[in-house]
Order: sequence, then C-alpha cells, then structure tokens
Amino acid sequence: MLINALNGLVWGSLLFVLSTGLVLVYGLRRVVNFAHGALYMLGAYIGWAAATQFGFLVGVAAAGLGLAIVGIALDLAIFGRLGGRHPLITVIVTFGVLLILEDVVRSVWGTRSYAIDPPEVLAGVVDLFGAPFPVYRLFIVAASAGMAAALAGWLRFSRTGLFVRAASHDASVAAMCGVRTAAIGPMVVGLGAAFAGMSGIVAAPFLSINPSMGSEILVLSFVVSVIGGLGSFWGAFVSAMLLGQVQAFGTVWLPELAALLPFLLMAFVLVFRPQGIAGTEG
Amino acid sequence: MSAIFRCEGLGKQYGGVVALQGVDLELERGRVHGLIGPNGAGKSTFIDVASGRSQGHGRVFFDGRDVTAVAPGERRRMGISRSFQKTSIFPALTIRDQLDLAAHGAGGGDATEIAGMLGLADVLDRRAEEVSYGQQRLVDLALALVGDPKVLLLDEPAAGLSVAESQALAGHLEEIAARWNVAVLLVEHDMDVVFRICHVLTVLASGRFLVSGPPSEIRSDPAVVRAYFGSTA
Amino acid sequence: MTASLSLRRFLPDRATLIATALAATAVWTTAGFAPRVVVALLTQALIVSFLALGVGVLIRLSGLVTFGHAAPFGLGAYGAAWALGPAAPFAPEIGLVAVVLGVGVLFWAIGLVVGRVEGIAFGMLTLALGQAVHVAAGKFRHLTGGSDGLIVDLPRHLYGARTDALQTPFGMLVIAAVVLAVVLFGLRSFERTRAGRLAVAIRENEERVRFLGYRTRALKALVFALSAAIPALGGVLFTLHQGFVSPEVLTWGFSGHALIMAILGGTVALWGPIAGALAFFVLREELGGITTHWLAILGTTLIVVTVVWPSGLAGAAAALARRLGRRVGEGGTA
Repeated sequence: MLINALNGLVWGSLLFVLSTGLVLVYGLRRVVNFAHGALYMLGAYIGWAAATQFGFLVGVAAAGLGLAIVGIALDLAIFGRLGGRHPLITVIVTFGVLLILEDVVRSVWGTRSYAIDPPEVLAGVVDLFGAPFPVYRLFIVAASAGMAAALAGWLRFSRTGLFVRAASHDASVAAMCGVRTAAIGPMVVGLGAAFAGMSGIVAAPFLSINPSMGSEILVLSFVVSVIGGLGSFWGAFVSAMLLGQVQAFGTVWLPELAALLPFLLMAFVLVFRPQGIAGTEG
Repeated sequence: MSAIFRCEGLGKQYGGVVALQGVDLELERGRVHGLIGPNGAGKSTFIDVASGRSQGHGRVFFDGRDVTAVAPGERRRMGISRSFQKTSIFPALTIRDQLDLAAHGAGGGDATEIAGMLGLADVLDRRAEEVSYGQQRLVDLALALVGDPKVLLLDEPAAGLSVAESQALAGHLEEIAARWNVAVLLVEHDMDVVFRICHVLTVLASGRFLVSGPPSEIRSDPAVVRAYFGSTA
Repeated sequence: MTASLSLRRFLPDRATLIATALAATAVWTTAGFAPRVVVALLTQALIVSFLALGVGVLIRLSGLVTFGHAAPFGLGAYGAAWALGPAAPFAPEIGLVAVVLGVGVLFWAIGLVVGRVEGIAFGMLTLALGQAVHVAAGKFRHLTGGSDGLIVDLPRHLYGARTDALQTPFGMLVIAAVVLAVVLFGLRSFERTRAGRLAVAIRENEERVRFLGYRTRALKALVFALSAAIPALGGVLFTLHQGFVSPEVLTWGFSGHALIMAILGGTVALWGPIAGALAFFVLREELGGITTHWLAILGTTLIVVTVVWPSGLAGAAAALARRLGRRVGEGGTA
C-alpha cells in the first residue's frame, strides 16, 4: 500500500518536473508548446547517446544543455515572434515544430527502442517497510524535488526570477518597467526545454526510450496542466501528485481502466471547475 | 414612483484592491440617471457588477425581484439590457444580421426602427467591420436597444464619438427614455451629454458614493469639484 | 426586417453552381480515365477529407482547434464495422445511419461539458480525449479486436444497390464525392440559418451573445456535434471501402494530419479543408517518394504557411478571385 503511494510519488514527481517546462513557457510567452513531449523525447535520446559514452551524469548534463540550446533557438526563431497572435497560430506552429523534432529523432536514432540501466551507484534496491524498492526511483523523486526547489528558489529570490515573474504576469507593463523581456524569453524557454529534456533522461531507466514516448507523455502533461490550471506551478504540483497516485493505485486496483483514469479524472474536474484547480476565473 | 431597478451595496474587490464599495443606486422608468466621477472612480466596475458581468458584493433588484444571481442572458430576456465601453459587436456579420440576432434573443422587437433612429439604415447590409468607428459604437448601442428593454445600462456610449455624433446620441437617448419609458443608467465622461439629458446624477470617487442629486446642484457641489480636480486620477 | 422566410437563400448562386459543375467533371474524368493508382489515392484523400472538413467546420464555426477528431472518425469506422457485423440488432442500412447520429449525439453531450473550457486548454483537452478513445479501443479487445483490428464483410446489397462497387476505387470515389457534396450543401445551408449566424457570432464574441439573451452552451455543443458527425460519416465510408478497421484510425497523428489539412486548405471557404486534404495526399505521394523526411518538410511548411499566410489555400484562392473581380462562393467569413 505504501509502496503504491511511493510509486505514485515517483510518477507524480516526474510529471511535475515535465509540466513545469510547459508552465514556464506558457506563463511567459502564452504559448502552449505542443512540441513539449518531443523535447522530452529528444532529451532522453541525447542523454542516452551521451551516457553510453561518458556515463549517466554526463548524459543528464548533455540532455539539459542540449535542450537548453534547442529551447533558446526555438524562442528566438519562433516563439518570440508569435506575440499577440491568435492562439490557433501558436498551436499550429508548435505542432510543426513537433513534426520536425520527431523527424530528427527518427533520422538520427531510427525507430527501435533503447533501454538504459541506472548508473551503478543508483542501481539496486533498498528495504522499505519490508519490501524491496528500487533506489533509482527514490533518486527520481529526489532529483525532481531538487530541480523544482532550485527553480522555485530562483524565481523567488533572484533578480532575473523576479523579472520572469513580472513578465509572466503582464509582459507590457514589465517591459515598461525596464525588464528586458526580449532577453528573458529565450532564457525561460531554454530553461523549460532543459527541464523537459532532463526529465526525459532521468525517466529513461524507469520507462524506456522509444519514438512514441513523446506523444504519450505529452498527453499526460496536458492532462496535468488542464487539471491544475494553465500557467500555475502550484496547480501543476497538486495535479501531478494527484495523477501520480491515481496511476499507481489504478494499475493495482483497476488494471483494465488504469490507462483511462487520467482522462476520467480530467473530465470530472472540468465538469466542476473548467479553469482547473488553480486557474483563474474566465 | 417606485424604482424598477435597484442596486444595494454593490462592491467589488480585485485581490487587495477595492474597486467599489457599498454603492446604492435606483433607476426609475422614463428617467436618465447619470453616473459620473473621475477616472478610476469605479463607474465601469459598477455597471459590470450591476449587469452581472462581474461577480461582486451587494444585491440587484428588478421590479421588486432579487436578480443578483440571475445570468445576463436571462436578465436580457427580462428586459435588462446593457451596452459596452469597449465596442462589443460582431465584425464579420452584417449589421442587419446582428440586429436580427439581438431581436430574436430579446424575444422580439423591430430592429429596423432602431437602425433608422440611429442613422444606420443605409449601412444595414454592410459588415460591421466595414463601417466607421462612430457607426460601430452605434451598433453596440443598437444591439442593446432592440427588443423594448425596460432598463438600459449604458457604459460610455459616447466614447470616441465626435461632438456632433455625441449630441445626436444624447438626443436619441432622451427620446428613448421619454418615449419608451425606459429606465436609463448612463455612465459617461462627456459632460455636455450628461448635463443635457440626465435627470439625476450620482457621483462616485475612489469606488465610493460621494453625492447624488439633480445636475444643477451637483455641478456646483464643492465636494464634487474637489473629487475631479483635487484627485490624482 | 426579420430574415426572409423564403427558401431562395438556400439555392446555390452562380459561382457555386459553376464550381460544382467543374468539380463534378473533374471527379468523373479522373474516375474514368486516370490510372488506377491515381484514382485510389484520390479516393483515400476524399474519405480522409471528411475528417479534415470536420476539423475545419469546428474552426470556422467556433474558432476552436481540436487535436482529437480522429476519435469521431474512428468511432464511425468501428461503429460501421459493428453495424455491418453479426452482432448488430438492426439492419445495416439503419445501423449505419444510427452510428453517424449516435456519434453526433455523443459529441453533443461531450460538447456540453468541454464547452466550458476555453481556447488552448480546449485543444489540449481534445488531444487527451482522442487518446482516451485510442487507448480504449486497444483495451476492449472483444469489441474492437484490439490492435489486430476487425475484418468486415459487406452484405451483397445496401440501400438497394450492390456493394461490390464500394470497394473499388472508382465506385467509392464517386460515392464519396457525392456524399461530400451533399454535406457541403448542408453546411452551407446551415450557415445561412439563424443558428448558423449565431454560431459565427459566438465565435466572434461569445460574451455579447450571452448579453443578447442567449444561452450559448447548447449551440456550442451543437456545433461540436456537427463537426464530429462529419468525420463519423467519413469513418463509415472508410470501413465500407476497406472492409477492415484498426486502431490506426484513432491515432493522434491522424488527428494532427487532419488539422494540417484544414490549415493548409484554409477555413475561409467551406471547401478549404477538402483542398487541403487533396494537397496533403499529393504532397505525401510526391515528396514521400523523394525523401523520408517529408514530415519535417511538412512541419516547416506549416510553420511558414501559418505565420506568413494564415488563410491557407482557400484564402489565397479567394484573394486571387477578388483580384480577378469575381466572388468566390458565399459565406466567406474568416
């Protein structure tokens, strides 16, 4: 029972870190990035490629750095220029990016799946409440918590973080106050992409690496965002944790319906609160 | 004559900012009630809360019935209609089509007469996005007028209009109030219009009720003058 | 002043009549004289264009973007398989119609719930819903045959005609084209009713529509239902033509491609998404033969087209026609 809850925590942590990327980009650029899952996938592949050569840690760093670059490029070339356009436009454009990224992954790494083992130091199991629990999963929770804390701290206490929060709240007013939104944009999107990429490689020993991992996780991260309310970190946190528990207990108690549970939960939340848990009215 | 539309203690808060607090107001049929005050006084907020567009505090009564919880659509069918400060029309539809929709939504009414009265008869078959700004403001107003409303809540109908257009508008509003026996709430900045057609004025300042009375008194009330010229708005 | 009660407004105008005649000639000539491969491609494109049209109708009448419309298409396809199979309680002729109507009703109900969600969140929601249906189809193996799919045997006769023509490219091309024409005509008529104008009004300014006395939920749901019934019809034709249905028709890739078709073709004109579907299939044939990266090229094109050229092929056609001094069709609300 507790093991289930722990598994739920692992899942939830992963979903949360992934969703923070979405929230970051949406909050600042008002773009819902349909390519977010592809960024996660790209990070996993890049991380894997680096890890097989240089070890897991380098893999994670490579995923983060590589995706940060991709994110910055995306913002400079595309997202930054979409300001104020109809939401339909941003949706289509990010979908175009998705197609390109998926093609890149397919071209470089083919269509087969890859497996990756957790690094030696994190392999193995630990005895928890009388049952064995993989150490790596605890690492996932710890790593996610660390990343989230770092992000929260940065947003809360640093000058740039303040600028990001201001610009996310109201870009034109922030600009008038001297916040260089043009410079912040690429940084935030790069950060969001890096988070997606890193969660990809961190998840890889837990989940696997294959060409459809992007779409699968994208849907889930959308469910998290819709339930939590677009643009809210707190909402994403609560909703990711909730979803993690639902998945964990669902696979045990209702295995037939387990895959459908997230969608049922989303429908349920929407009936009573269309703007999501932490979304603002209208 | 008892008031057909009554607002009791209307208020609205945005986070920590109190935009409106404890404002009472009554409308009588056939009379134009002006709501004025310096910028930021809460006039538009008042109309938004009174018309059900925003959630706020207080109660709204129509013909003795508490309609605070009634949705805008149903209020319209009851006869409470409003116009918007930021022009809120349908750019891609022809003026005729949108007036027709308004008539149908209100449960009847002659859109041709309204269009004629406001001078829109010539452009009925043009799309709203194709006509001038002034005419678009008139369309916004026309949409509210169709269907014989009993109460009209108008949010700066003269905004952006030329002097001539504003005066023409004032004339129409006078006629509507008198001829159709409509209770009109007029939020306006244009003092020429206000002093020409309002039977009574309520002045708001900083979200609160300041003073109320006939225009001649309000005009020379020192508190009002102070609110306008002494304020930092 | 009230809209004319005469039925005259439903009759097609001259430009539409000419366009229809041209299209019909093109279809008949192709079907009769083009190589079989081309006809087969065209047939597939026309069937998929039902899906693109559904997506386009939703954009056009409500301004909403959906990433999950493969769901009604797939439901129509699976539904047809069920209606044609031994387990169906009524005759296939009735069953097929019931399937399309049933999908419409289902999506009307869904529309009532999801209509409260705005803009982009709606898009995300549709993606999730589409996936939910996809997953469900895989799970309920006893109904859907799981990932192996279902083979469907057509009865010898349907609606009084022989069915073997349905499974030939020529036969299905003509039938799909005719059904598509009827659907287009129906949509056009709908847009001219008060409900149709109300849908456009809601798309432009939902708040004001509410302040005019309307309850917008039901109409939004109706538009959603309509936009789902059209792909469902396409799904039925799909099953009739292929004799086989699998979860392939429910992937979000399929939904995504349909969205691309609608964008490429543009929603300025009703027929835009159909042109987009044809263009997509042609591009895929031509480009796909040259390079395996055709999707990346498509993605790039999409980005460029959307940013630079928002009204797509239909918009370009309309602009061109305007310059030539003639009106292209009716009801061109952007």
